[in-house]
Amino acid sequence: MRVTKGAQIIAGTALLALAVAACGGGGGGSTGSSPGATTGASDAPVRMEIGEPQKLFYPSDTTETEGAEVLAALFSPLVSYNENKEVVNEVAQSIETEDNKVWTIKLKPGYTWHNGEKLIAQNYVDAWNFASNQENVQSASYFFGRIAGYADLNPGEGKTPSTKEMSGLKAVDDLTLEVTLSKPFSQFPVMLGYTAFYPLPKAAFGPDGKVTEEFAAKPIGQGQFSIDKPYGKGTDQTIDLTRYDAFAGAKPKFSKLQFKIYTSTETAYNDLRGGELDIIDQLAASSISSAKSDLGERYIEQPDAGIGYIGFPLKYNKEYENVKVREAIAMAIDRKTIAEKVFSGTRAPADDFINPAIAGYKQGACTVCIFDPAKAKEVYTAANGPKKLELGYNADGGHKEWIEAVAINLRASLGIEVTVKPFEKFQAILDELDAKKYTGMFRMGWAIDYPSPENYLTPIFSTEAAKTGSNYAGYSSKEFDDLLVKGDTAETPEAGLEAYRQAADVLNKELPYVPVYFYKINAGYSEHLKSVKINLLNQVEWESVEKA
Amino acid sequence: MGRYVIRRLIQAIPVLLGATLLIFAVVFALPGDPIAALAGEKRGNPVVVALLREQYHLNDPLIVQYGYYISGVFQGNLGRTYANVEVSQIIAAKFQVTVNLAITALVLEAIFGVGLGLWAALRRGKATDSMILASTLILVSVPTLVTGFVLQLLLGVQLRRWTGGVEIFPIAGVSDGWISYVVPGFVLAGTSIAYLTRLTRTSLVENLRADYVRTAVAKGMPRRRVVGRHALRNALIPLITFLGADLGTLMGGAVITESIFNIPGIGQELFRSVHERQQPVVVGIVTILVLVYILANLVVDLLYAVLDPRIRYE
Repeated sequence: MRVTKGAQIIAGTALLALAVAACGGGGGGSTGSSPGATTGASDAPVRMEIGEPQKLFYPSDTTETEGAEVLAALFSPLVSYNENKEVVNEVAQSIETEDNKVWTIKLKPGYTWHNGEKLIAQNYVDAWNFASNQENVQSASYFFGRIAGYADLNPGEGKTPSTKEMSGLKAVDDLTLEVTLSKPFSQFPVMLGYTAFYPLPKAAFGPDGKVTEEFAAKPIGQGQFSIDKPYGKGTDQTIDLTRYDAFAGAKPKFSKLQFKIYTSTETAYNDLRGGELDIIDQLAASSISSAKSDLGERYIEQPDAGIGYIGFPLKYNKEYENVKVREAIAMAIDRKTIAEKVFSGTRAPADDFINPAIAGYKQGACTVCIFDPAKAKEVYTAANGPKKLELGYNADGGHKEWIEAVAINLRASLGIEVTVKPFEKFQAILDELDAKKYTGMFRMGWAIDYPSPENYLTPIFSTEAAKTGSNYAGYSSKEFDDLLVKGDTAETPEAGLEAYRQAADVLNKELPYVPVYFYKINAGYSEHLKSVKINLLNQVEWESVEKA
Repeated sequence: MGRYVIRRLIQAIPVLLGATLLIFAVVFALPGDPIAALAGEKRGNPVVVALLREQYHLNDPLIVQYGYYISGVFQGNLGRTYANVEVSQIIAAKFQVTVNLAITALVLEAIFGVGLGLWAALRRGKATDSMILASTLILVSVPTLVTGFVLQLLLGVQLRRWTGGVEIFPIAGVSDGWISYVVPGFVLAGTSIAYLTRLTRTSLVENLRADYVRTAVAKGMPRRRVVGRHALRNALIPLITFLGADLGTLMGGAVITESIFNIPGIGQELFRSVHERQQPVVVGIVTILVLVYILANLVVDLLYAVLDPRIRYE
């Protein structure tokens, strides 16, 4: 259409006037007194703070929380997790198995993609095959490692996979998916709520069978919201979503959702106080005390499934070999003060290898995780522990303060020399550990991939994980490995939980790491909202959000 | 004059090449693998990491990597980030925002700095002079981080409580147009305003004592004309140098301000990219900053000739 310059100016002015009027309406809404405010407020989006997503929206290439938060609004998972730490079916109608190896997943009928197509079992097969294939370089591909045929798609560096499909995936009919694992794993259903397991529609794939960049910028999901326009990574400051009205699950009670990208949560908090933002899912430590008084009931504090540890290079430094030395170190740390003072209450003292947010946690299971400087000194001297200790941490993640605090604890309690060594990045510690160059203790953290107690055990402490996983200590115990197998093959969830509990107790006894703190969620929301719930994966449950 | 400009621009080419190589080498020398860093604190899938390293030529020696980069640049391609986004696309969007911020800051700086300096110089030794000097001292000694958050709270959050919810200055972000840049621009320009005020005052005081000013006054020229045409014009020379050099500083030094006010400019991007080891973005942004410095200095040099007829460029 040809438009003259004059018309453009007039149109521009009109738009500007509209925008000004809209701003005025918004302002009226925030005071809540003007009569027109209700209509204005119902159209105004719910605005949530996020950091910039690391990548475009490839579900199987998103292993960080910011991108996952957006994807969670666009896609609906097979299962979700309720407040009682239980797995509940979401898109799945039922998930059944006889032997923990062959799993039959039936889908609920009625789910559709945002483009109107029906959601079918084949969508899961396509997505998971794409995610697993090494040629597609998807960072979450390891989630599919337990499915039979994964090895065929991942022959290793420099080799080409012989097939494009995993033998363990089969769409029996439109609503039935059959998954065969390479060995029994009782926790498989728990994994299915994670971002990597979202399905992908036919439209996602280009002619070469890969997910297209256009799709990753403007994904077509099957979840509560659809995205308004392609996301310009690096340039866009907001991501706008609209409720998908044909969604078959629990629908949100508001129609527009907007993610606003911030680099500083302090700034976001000021925006929230000024009425320019509605939800922050993790407040900065410096904002917490004022948030408690400013927000009152609208301040949320709940356990987060992460754990912070101090690790030992067990695989090559014999100084830490004696478990008594590790016990003494565990007793020498004043967790309570660290959690409350150093972290301003954003952490809780750790007393188990499983986080309280997850089923299987036992309060006080780590009996030596209680501050007892006198006993620590006694045990340490009796075990003839080293006179000099080193403590490494990555300087880029706000760990300096608590590591320094631990060092002070160790010096005071054990009466030895302790030096702290900053590494530039966490990766640098890992590299030196791999090269057996760094011999000191190191800070370690774990955020779960799926809310099963197994996730605190196998990936960090199993013998196998020393090669492929995150077992940086190089810990290896037959008893522990056997209990994991027992848990993986357990016939009932209860029996599985029992075995994992025993495995965690092995760790509590042998201390390959020393647990120091559990993370907490410190979130807040504005007066425009009545209720907000955040789930175990740190994602907002949008159906729980209500406008005031 | 034309030949002078061309010569200066040709001189800029080796400077640019040198700067990019230097930055490339520095970013390259930082410890930690950028691809592994993508996985956070977990160990990335080794096959995926290897394939990505291959794709971004990270296994090649520095000079080969630089070769790939610079040949791309000559084809108008600044490369892609490790998250597979076009660098040019990121820089283009963010650069615009920072230019807006820097210009706002520069304008505020010129108005307040020269204005206050002029006022202080004309009231030399009086209470006004002392007060202006004292307040510049405060402005210099309070860090940007503090002024930023305090002004954000006062002008952004508190002010709208007093006005009953009417927004005057936005708290953060740039979605409200020019007004969004005023408070951050002032914060960014803060210390420079103080320096410029003092510089203007000193320079003007000195010129007001000069012989030619006495002559001008003696021959009965109106005071306004003496100050404006004679003293101020000469006093402007050091100020222009300062403003020109400051433009580069304002653009590159906006990291803290952009972070406090959530302004999606290149300062913020540079900080994040250094953190994430995004070599192509860091090199691209720094190259552009070098270019800005070179051009700003050129403009300053040309302005000298305008202000001082004794200076000529062949």
